[in-house]
Amino acid sequence: MSTPIRTIRNLYRVGFKSYFNQMLGIGDTKAGTLIGTDRFGNKYFENNAEELPLRTKWVEYREYDYDASHVEPGWHAWLHYLTDKPANVEPNMLHEVRPWEKPEPPINQTFTRAAYKPYSTTIPKIQSWEPVARARA
Amino acid sequence: MLSTVRTPTVALGLRAIRPTALIAARNISTSKPAPLASGALEPIDGPTPRREVLLPSQEKPKGLVDYALTSFDTIANWARQGSLWPVTFGLACCAVEMMHLSTPRYDQDRMGIIFRASPRQSDVMIVAGTLTNKMAGALRLVYDQMPEPRWVVSMGSCANGGGYYHYSYSVVRGCDRIVPVDVYVPGCPPTAEALCYGIMQLQKKMRNTKITRMWYRR
Repeated sequence: MSTPIRTIRNLYRVGFKSYFNQMLGIGDTKAGTLIGTDRFGNKYFENNAEELPLRTKWVEYREYDYDASHVEPGWHAWLHYLTDKPANVEPNMLHEVRPWEKPEPPINQTFTRAAYKPYSTTIPKIQSWEPVARARA
Repeated sequence: MLSTVRTPTVALGLRAIRPTALIAARNISTSKPAPLASGALEPIDGPTPRREVLLPSQEKPKGLVDYALTSFDTIANWARQGSLWPVTFGLACCAVEMMHLSTPRYDQDRMGIIFRASPRQSDVMIVAGTLTNKMAGALRLVYDQMPEPRWVVSMGSCANGGGYYHYSYSVVRGCDRIVPVDVYVPGCPPTAEALCYGIMQLQKKMRNTKITRMWYRR
């Protein structure tokens, strides 16, 4: 629920730049405490006092062309209320990097040039019809 | 590797005859690699050297015309992705999840998405559910009635590739045999969040579309 007074109050708190970024991302104006920043540079905020339940945590993406997969897994767990503590404090998230883990969590590459392009390695069963028109006399 | 070598010559040869249709067909990435298409398999000698290319979002405009056209594209893409009207093609249980997306919990209206029952006034078609042979004609008809630019979201395993009914005698094995699909949303059925994410991917595709820049290159 957003009212003009709340929007103006939060705009006064966060400033115009953050307001603009928030309108690009979450589409709302929120003010809260900065809980942490992940290694991609996304910022995570929390406000338990004023926001409605399940809207108390939010992220400001670093990139304009953001994607939900830019959120790091540990922060994703915090953002979705899976863990009580944020990812830089939660003991379950502070383990060493396991040998089978990738050094960086992979992001979604759909519609970029790194997107997966499937191809078949078998001979196709169906041949496309290529019409041949005879020249008229 | 072969396709990059071969495509310019083919395109140049065809330009004199039919400038549009065949070149467009050549540039679309087919499901078949070029060596297999020609029938002759060449021995592969090691991996090809890595080629670094910029992402479309990292490219900077060069020159005044390019700058102006990029700005035009940004405005047009912003308008397109902000008011996405899908024509509902609810065929099976996926349609229930599609309805969930429109309800207040997921609230697709905040992204400017309103279901429009008329194909002539809609931008994107969400194929939600099993596409049977009998329905395929109607699907194509509705797609043909949609104005350009138009997009298709294939939702659920049945629409992606037949899914559970892949071996049925009366089911189309994927709606991409009937219409060109932009986004495939996996799941049986996909959750409303998954469909929402798929639509966000489609918006990402729209943001990077070069409308006037491609027109200028012609």
